[in-house]
Amino acid sequence: MKKKSKLKLGNGSRCERLHQLAISETGFIFDPQTGQSFTVNQTGLFVLDGFKKGQNTDFVSHNLSEACSVPIELAQSSVEAFIMQLERYL
Amino acid sequence: MTKLLWEPPFIQPHRLGEINKFGRMKARDSYVEHIFGVPVTLLKEEFGSPCFVTSETHFRNNLQNLKKAFERRYGDVIHGWSYKTNYISAMCNIAHQEGCYAEVVSAFEYEKARHLGVPGEKIIFNGPNKGKAILERAINDGAHIHLDHLDELNLVDEIASRLNKIVSISLRLNFDTGYTEPWSRFGFNIESGQARQAARLLSASKNLKLTGLHSHIGTFILEPKAYAQQIKIMCKFMREIEAQDDIEIDTIDIGGGLPSKNALQSIYLPPEQVIPPLSEYADAICNTLIEETNYRSQLGRKKPTLIFESGRAAVDDTQALLTSVVGTKRLPDGKRAAILDAGTNLLFTAYWYNHQVQMTRPADGPLADTALYGPLCMNIDVVRSSIQLPPLEYGDTLVINPVGAYNNTQWMQFIEYRPNVVLVHEDNTYSVIREREDLQVMCQQDRLPAHLVTSFIDSKSEAKSK
Repeated sequence: MKKKSKLKLGNGSRCERLHQLAISETGFIFDPQTGQSFTVNQTGLFVLDGFKKGQNTDFVSHNLSEACSVPIELAQSSVEAFIMQLERYL
Repeated sequence: MTKLLWEPPFIQPHRLGEINKFGRMKARDSYVEHIFGVPVTLLKEEFGSPCFVTSETHFRNNLQNLKKAFERRYGDVIHGWSYKTNYISAMCNIAHQEGCYAEVVSAFEYEKARHLGVPGEKIIFNGPNKGKAILERAINDGAHIHLDHLDELNLVDEIASRLNKIVSISLRLNFDTGYTEPWSRFGFNIESGQARQAARLLSASKNLKLTGLHSHIGTFILEPKAYAQQIKIMCKFMREIEAQDDIEIDTIDIGGGLPSKNALQSIYLPPEQVIPPLSEYADAICNTLIEETNYRSQLGRKKPTLIFESGRAAVDDTQALLTSVVGTKRLPDGKRAAILDAGTNLLFTAYWYNHQVQMTRPADGPLADTALYGPLCMNIDVVRSSIQLPPLEYGDTLVINPVGAYNNTQWMQFIEYRPNVVLVHEDNTYSVIREREDLQVMCQQDRLPAHLVTSFIDSKSEAKSK
């Protein structure tokens, strides 16, 4: 059974948790809830931006695939791995 | 839509102590397209990856500079080329063409020097395990034998007596200079009286004549005064034994240990700030030796010949290793990592140096902490555990240097084939000086007993035979 994300990313649901984060254009993230800070790379920033706009995983993956000119399968699996990282830290 | 540079999306937490005032540094646009004047792409295409690339010009210049530094200050100087530092035949012959003796430490190295055409009288034979047969050959050849222990002294005495020869001998000494960890496992100790005992035994021998003193105080010595102290102790010992026994010392061999411009892992500062120039070493060594042997000119005696055995300082920066990225990954803590086709199997010195690693194309991303791993299926195969590099991609070529000392000798025939070693000649042409290994090389020493010739046994034929 697929693990349900506590962040509820993707599938159209807006993620309030992500909106709590202060995210700079260069990829610096501050989480006021925990006081922790993070660095996210440019593709990670792209994905977070998509999620914050309410885009689901498939849509974000498709956009990422086009933006980076990589196969959709690679973009999809990378976004899924990224979600696991977000679940770990947020 | 704006094109993004592909890298899997990644988030990395900041940990206390990791944030520094420099922030995320922009990549310096520093990369190399040539190794010793030859395009990297050409070397990779022609000789494969990995491959070692060596500069004949650089090596000759280093050898000449070393010799000059000591000759100008002292005069009568011999440079013994330390075979164990790099004994690829072409490298040894460059050293010999530059006037170096062969400094060898085993039967193999001795035989190699003779095979290359080095006459016995230009071989300095060191090492703790010489063996009867090779000692007999060395005595017949007139090589300079440096004794390591009493059993060897007795063995050489017995061979010389049997051959009815009088053999000139050097004693390897060890002692505490106060600057370096004493290498007390080699040679005869001065403080405990072992060295005096050996000198006395040699003096009493009908067939052996003590004519030289040798010591080697350590490796990568960063304090020139250590050599001055070494020479003071050796010369004091020399005067004592010359006064007591019928002995005349005509060579003082200070061994090697001069550092190269490599970065030791234990030292924070870069080598340019830590390593004294050659002139400081030459001053300390030659001035002290002149002071300590001045009495001889007053007595009308010749001063001893100075022998030094520098390997690392002569060859380390004359070679680079071309290697390729065969995989990239993120470690669970977010750190970047790359797997290279060359690891500690080829770069034994990665265990104690932080080698310089250069890109061969412009960087297309910010520098980040990166780990570089070798190709071995071993956790200890780490080329650099932490280095600031831009994002690496599969197939990227990297140049690692300096790697000329102790890698072409201490490399391992382990898991991977050892690669081509290329020499860039003085006229900028180049050639292979050691060929890449293949399956035949790897298996040529194996022997298969008759019952082990086949790998899998056919169960039917086995049953029939029963």
